[in-house]
This record gives sequence, structure tokens and C-alpha cells, in this order.
Amino acid sequence: MFRDEYLETLPQKELRSFQLEKLNRTLETANKSPYYKKLFRQCGLKPHADNLHEIRKFPFTTKDDLRKSYPAGMVTTPFADIVRMHASSGTTGKSTLVFHTMQDIENWANLVARGLYAAGVRKTDIFQNMMSYGLFTGGLGLHYGAEKIGALVLPVGSGNTHKQIELLIDLKATVLHITPSYLLYLGHVIEEAKIPLSSFSFKIAILGAEPHSEATRRKLEKMFHIKAFNCYGLSEMNGPGVAFECIYRKGLHLWEDSYYGEIINPGTGEVLPEGEEGELVLTTLQREGMPVIRYRTKDITRFIKEKCGCGRTHRRIVRIKGRTDDMFVIKGVNVFPSQIEAVLMETPEVDKNYRIILDRKEGLDVLTVEIEIKREYFRGDINQLRALQGRMTSMLKDAILVTPVVELVEPGTLPPSTGKAQRVLDKRRV
Amino acid sequence: MGRQISIFVENKPGKVNRITGILEKEKINLKAMTIADSGTFGIIKLMTDDNKRAFNALREKKLLVSLQDVVVAEIPDKVGAFHRIAKILENAKINIEDAYGFIVKEGEKAALILKVPDTSAVENILKKKGYKIIDNF
Repeated sequence: MFRDEYLETLPQKELRSFQLEKLNRTLETANKSPYYKKLFRQCGLKPHADNLHEIRKFPFTTKDDLRKSYPAGMVTTPFADIVRMHASSGTTGKSTLVFHTMQDIENWANLVARGLYAAGVRKTDIFQNMMSYGLFTGGLGLHYGAEKIGALVLPVGSGNTHKQIELLIDLKATVLHITPSYLLYLGHVIEEAKIPLSSFSFKIAILGAEPHSEATRRKLEKMFHIKAFNCYGLSEMNGPGVAFECIYRKGLHLWEDSYYGEIINPGTGEVLPEGEEGELVLTTLQREGMPVIRYRTKDITRFIKEKCGCGRTHRRIVRIKGRTDDMFVIKGVNVFPSQIEAVLMETPEVDKNYRIILDRKEGLDVLTVEIEIKREYFRGDINQLRALQGRMTSMLKDAILVTPVVELVEPGTLPPSTGKAQRVLDKRRV
Repeated sequence: MGRQISIFVENKPGKVNRITGILEKEKINLKAMTIADSGTFGIIKLMTDDNKRAFNALREKKLLVSLQDVVVAEIPDKVGAFHRIAKILENAKINIEDAYGFIVKEGEKAALILKVPDTSAVENILKKKGYKIIDNF
């Protein structure tokens, strides 16, 4: 039932004192980093909290703070003690980097292993990891966790669908780690190729990297006759495995021995009473290489007060309902409209107005960017426009890491750039 | 020198209708029209009996238009007439980027519209070969 019964079922009161002890160690460690050392001094704060409530005197850390401390302003120890770096896509310019010590990697793997175990993954399982490896945390994060359980891990990474199917059939993978959109696409390809479902052995899908709805989960479960589990994480907090669903699948257990969670009003920053919906703020409680205090995730959720039937005492959060900013996820990649805007600003031939359309065609996510041609640029030459279209496509791909479909439109047909224009039209039913 | 009208259009229903509607309202006679298609968008090229007025009317209605220099040559409306011109241009090593035409008088005269890199050079070559260049477009 549990991978670490003692920690996973620690009574609430003990869990809170455990958190306080870890919080104080985290504050002391953070104080060794140039960023927090300066911040604590500026705010006249001692790296100490008498009780968990006192965490509120510490300022929030934002993605922008991470970017400003690029590359390693929040790192507490010489690189000699660091064994891994991951990065997340940035809005504009630099991406945000996260550094881990050997112990951090070990702890992360344990959290993922606990989550996988809670979902029913065991050492006899064959785990096909269909998330990309590299700077992105999805691939390596689950890889280490699944190995920790002792499962046979197939590190296939994302894409290469025909190879994936071949391995699924030949190696008889029992568990998949995959984005919901890629699983939908896989279903489409399998159907097209008329491969019977009986050729496959997978019974569990761990869905990550993309917010998705209960309806999508049900659709995928029906499509493949499997059980799908939601996995939440973000690179600033290690990556996947921050919160995980158990077999009851009524919310995601936040591993409270490793994270201190708060729900705040995103407008005022005020901490909300338990059970109210708001922005999730997380503090790492066990990370040595790069502790992060009160990180604003911009993800909207709430805590579930009730105890879970599984016996774990770590509080659950509900499925992420949305974002406080305009970030969207396509093909598992986080994209901010401002990244697209920045590319348009650099291109004199196009106007600043644009519209992003997210759609799903034949199970595959499609990102379309509509761009207005500037009036004075138009020479009546189709080759000139084709070249512009090609150039915009590759510039946007470099910026957001997803190949968009660029559509040129007449000037004045898109909503104007002033005010709160609706820039993103999401037609997907995720 | 003649000029043609080029209009950017998104590949959506009603886009051509909008253009022809404006021309009808302005009582401008459409002589020839071609569409170059590039997936989600295309470029419509027009010759009318009054390109200058047509251009202004379309621009006023916020269409994305431009005028392009073209050679408009009068040729006989008979077999091989275009071929002779193509041959002349081949000999002069001139690349034709685009070409279309319309009948001026059935069985007698046609207008050939050529988009070439150097419009005046081609006009001079054709004039020397005895062709009449129509330049009131």
C-alpha cells in the first residue's frame, strides 16, 4: 500500500512539526545563496521561523526572481556538490535553471517512487517513459523514480510514435508515462494502423506535463481500458512528483514532508483559509542545492480538507484548474504569449496584433499563430509572403520550441493590442 | 508602362465577392483576374478598365493592395501569338514571372500581361519587334 509508510501516514500534528524543522533547515541553507542572503538582509529577516505561520513574513519568490538570479544566484553550494541541472522554458530571454545535489536527486526520486507506488506501480512492471529527456524534468524525473521502485524502465523519450508502438507491443510495457495529448494521438495512430488493443499490455498511464480535465481522463481510460493517474510538478520544485494521485484518484497528495504548500489570493498575496481556491505557493523543505522559498506557481487549486481513504495524511490538492497568467501548454511545452509577441516585435514586416489558436487535429495538438501583414510592406508578391511565412515559422519555433502554423492575415482583422485582448483561443477539449 | 493590381486575400469564402462588389459599385469593368494560391492565403491580380481608380477604391475599403509594374502588350487573337513573344523573351534571356491575358476583340486583338524583372527593358524589346504596348492601365 505504501512505499514509505512511516512518512506517508505521519499524523498531521507530527507532519507539521516535521515541516517546521525542515523549514528552518531550508531557511538556513537558503541563506547561503547570494539571492536569499541579500533578500533576508534587505528585509531584516533572520532565517528562522518559530512556527509554520511565520513563513508568511518571508517574501514570495517568483519566476522573475529566478530569472534575475540567472544562472546560479539561488545556489547554496559550489558546483562541485551539484550533480544535475534542469531548466524550464522562460517567457522571454533566459530560461530558469534549477540545480540539484546528489541528495536532492535521491529525494526527488523517492518522491516520484512514492507517487508511482501509490498509483500501483511495482517492481514487476515495465515502464515505458514517453516524456522527453534532457533539460525538461519530465523524462529523467520519472525515470529515476521508476528505477527506484525496481521497474524495468524503457527510456524512449517523446515522439517517434512508430518505434513507441513497436516497443509497447514487443516489450509489453505495463505502465506508460505520457502527456494526455500524446496518449490521445497514440490512440489515433493505433486506430489508423488497425492494431488491435489486445496487442498492448499497459494498464496504467501516468499523465503529466499538461493540465487536463476529468473528461479527458475518462476518454483516455475508455479508449485503452486503462487507469490514468494525474501527476503534478514544476521544474522549480524539482519537476514531476510534487503531488500525485493515489488509487482513490480524488485529488493529488502533495508530499508535505518535502513541500510546504499555501493557497493565496493571487491579487493581494494574502494566504487563504484551508479549502478556498487560489494560487498554489510552494516552499521546498528538503532541497539543499537550491532551496526556493514561497514560490508562486501561478497554478490555481485548493486544498481538500477531508482525509483520504488511502490513509495518507499528506493533504490533497484538486486538479489544477487554470493559471493566474496567460501561459498555455501545447505538446507538453509551456508557452507564454509574450514569447510570441517578442518575435513579432523583431519583425518589421508584421504588425503587433496576433492571435493564437490551439486546436487538436487527428489527436495531435496544433498551434496556429495568426499574424497581420503590415500595409506598407505588401508588394503584391506571393513569394515574398511565402518567405515571410517561413521565416516567422522558424523564428517562432526557436522561441517557443514548438513548430507553429503561421497564417498571414489582412491588417486590421485581429483584435487590437491595447487592453485585455483575447489572444489565445483554445479549441481543444482537454 | 502598365500596372496591375495585387490584392492579398485570406483563403476564406466571400473574399473574392468583396472585391468584385467594390468594383461593381464603382462601375469599374473587370478585364482579367488571376489567383495565386498559397494555402491559407493567396494573391489576386486584376486588370480593369481603370486600374488607378480601382486601386484607390479597394484601398479605401481597407483591402491590402499594391500596384505592380507589368508589360501589357497588344497581340493578335490567333494561334501562336503568345508563343512568338515567349520566344523573343527567351532569346533575350528574360524570365517571365507571371503571365495572363484577356481578349480585346474576339478573333482580332488580345492583351497579354507579363510580369518580368525589368518592365521597361521588355517593353523596348517588344516595341522594336513591332508590338504595341498598352500603357494606359
